[in-house]
Amino acid sequence: MLSLVDIHRSYRLGPLTAQVLRGVDLEVRAGDVVSIMGPSGSGKTTLMNIIGLLDRPTTGACVFEGRDVSGLGDDALSALRNRHIGFVFQSFHLLPRLTALENVCLPLVYRGARRAETARRARAVLERVGMGERIHHRPDQLSGGQKQRVAIARALVGEPALLLADEPTGALDADTAREAMDLLLELNAERGVTILIITHDPAIASQCARQARIRDGRLVEATAHDPGAADAAVPRRPSLPGDIGKGAAARPHA
Amino acid sequence: MSRALSVLGANAREATDSLRKAKLRTALGLVGIMIGISSVIVMVSLGEIAKAQARKQFEALGTDIMLVRKSPHAPTPQGRRPATIALSDAIRLAPEVPSIVEAAPRVSGHGAFRHAGREVGDGRIQGVTASFASVNRLSVQAGRFISDLDVDRYWCVIGADIADAMRLAGARRLVGEIVEVGEVLFTIVGVLNDATENYALPVQVGANGSVFVPITTSGRVVSEPEIEVVIARSRAGVHHETAVADVRSFFRDRAPDLDLEIIAAKDLIARLETQMRNYTLLLGAVGSIALIVGGIGIMNIMLVSVAERRREIAIRRALGARRRDIQSQFLIESVILTTAGGVLGVLLGLAVTWGICRFTGWEFLVSGLSVASGLSTATAAGLFFGFQPARQASRLDPIAGLQGD
Repeated sequence: MLSLVDIHRSYRLGPLTAQVLRGVDLEVRAGDVVSIMGPSGSGKTTLMNIIGLLDRPTTGACVFEGRDVSGLGDDALSALRNRHIGFVFQSFHLLPRLTALENVCLPLVYRGARRAETARRARAVLERVGMGERIHHRPDQLSGGQKQRVAIARALVGEPALLLADEPTGALDADTAREAMDLLLELNAERGVTILIITHDPAIASQCARQARIRDGRLVEATAHDPGAADAAVPRRPSLPGDIGKGAAARPHA
Repeated sequence: MSRALSVLGANAREATDSLRKAKLRTALGLVGIMIGISSVIVMVSLGEIAKAQARKQFEALGTDIMLVRKSPHAPTPQGRRPATIALSDAIRLAPEVPSIVEAAPRVSGHGAFRHAGREVGDGRIQGVTASFASVNRLSVQAGRFISDLDVDRYWCVIGADIADAMRLAGARRLVGEIVEVGEVLFTIVGVLNDATENYALPVQVGANGSVFVPITTSGRVVSEPEIEVVIARSRAGVHHETAVADVRSFFRDRAPDLDLEIIAAKDLIARLETQMRNYTLLLGAVGSIALIVGGIGIMNIMLVSVAERRREIAIRRALGARRRDIQSQFLIESVILTTAGGVLGVLLGLAVTWGICRFTGWEFLVSGLSVASGLSTATAAGLFFGFQPARQASRLDPIAGLQGD
């Protein structure tokens, strides 16, 4: 469903050019749960922005659902994000003025769905994540774990093919983090939604069927050995270097 | 299409919600626009009211009136007195020119009026015919006006102010009393009601402070006994330009040397209205300055709002909002703000106008033009001053907005 081929991304900082990504290759299949780890500043978020169609690679091809997105205009990218990608952020990024229900409605609003339909679906997904009792609460009336549940509901309400989670447990304590992670894996099992998790927490990464690391601006994938992760990920496949893409296969790290 | 509409609806709800929650900012923006719109309303309304006021002056006298007089620019022929309007011609004007209903010639002079040895006024002596009262809408409170049968009689009709002065001087029944005009004694045959003056005409009647005498007698008391003006009224349904042309040709036949100036009230009104329109535009421009200041306030508020909501904008963009969705959200917000300010401004402006009218004694009227222009200007100001902030919001980089806490 997603393939990145030789993605480069550099930023101009005055006279300097910072090379953040130097040839990332990644092949994600529908239903995969992939973790991407790396130290801060390694380009995790840049990669997530490119996958999330918020940023464009300097060079390289990004094929999403069989469609090369590099040539698409802003409106087309917005529509793709709206229909096919759900975002979960470290700091939740709920709109503070809106209630949980209104926050969850947003993706459907931008899709142009009817109000009654929007509200019905938002309620259903809030109930699924266990927030059915608090749909009229505002973010400041919710705990961190509850906010993240609302954020996950918002990411899923439009039934996207891909869920992008950037440090989804980074702002949560250990117990709540585990619950949030369990919820994500459950949803993967239940709905087959592909999940890409960016994290620096090895415990989180170890629950994912596929684990990759960013090193020197390139993506390196290791096979998961954690049996817990194997149970959670539904379309369990052995991840071989060849799966990642031709670029990765040529590198000695793999 | 349906997507655009439902996003628009959601944006409108969102905008009102956001305005309700940023109370102080909203209030400040409202006040700015309110003052701007209300000053436009006051200025335009006052212009309209002044116009109506001037029109009313004409309507009291009728807009079918015209003044016929010797041109002030007429060259004086060598060794001869300049040609003047002959009384016989002035009297024949109405019967012989079909487009003229009435014509009232006037001989005018100045003098002091005395009664029983006391001065009762110092004003205009007017030699007139019977038609002068009806042409100028004068009415008597006692007695009668000058009649065409009063030829060479030393009879007079006095204005309301002279009558008041005589009463103060001890006169009881005014009709029948003697008033001394210059050196000549006149018997009062009538007393006029108080008359309103039309200052918009170049010739004033000045009835209240005048003594009217038969035009045939006026030569005895006026230093320059020539017809100063003929005030004429055209027939209903006759275009004023036709009537003017008829009068001109009537005099050309009878007095070819006479250089006439004919001023129709309709021409004066048209000229006055042009002046008033310019005046209204000028006042509107003054009001617009206040509005621009208010609009800049809105722009500032919207820019602050956009800056404060960078993260919100970025989140919306990540969730699939297009640039124009963001732009319309902020544009709707500024339009709602200015339109609400516009409604308040119209109310405030009308209240202030009403107050000024009470103070000046003008007749208050709600000018539909000013209300409509106030509201549409407010909406336009929202679009105009909200455009740049909304555009800026739509161009924000979502990545930058999502970073940092």
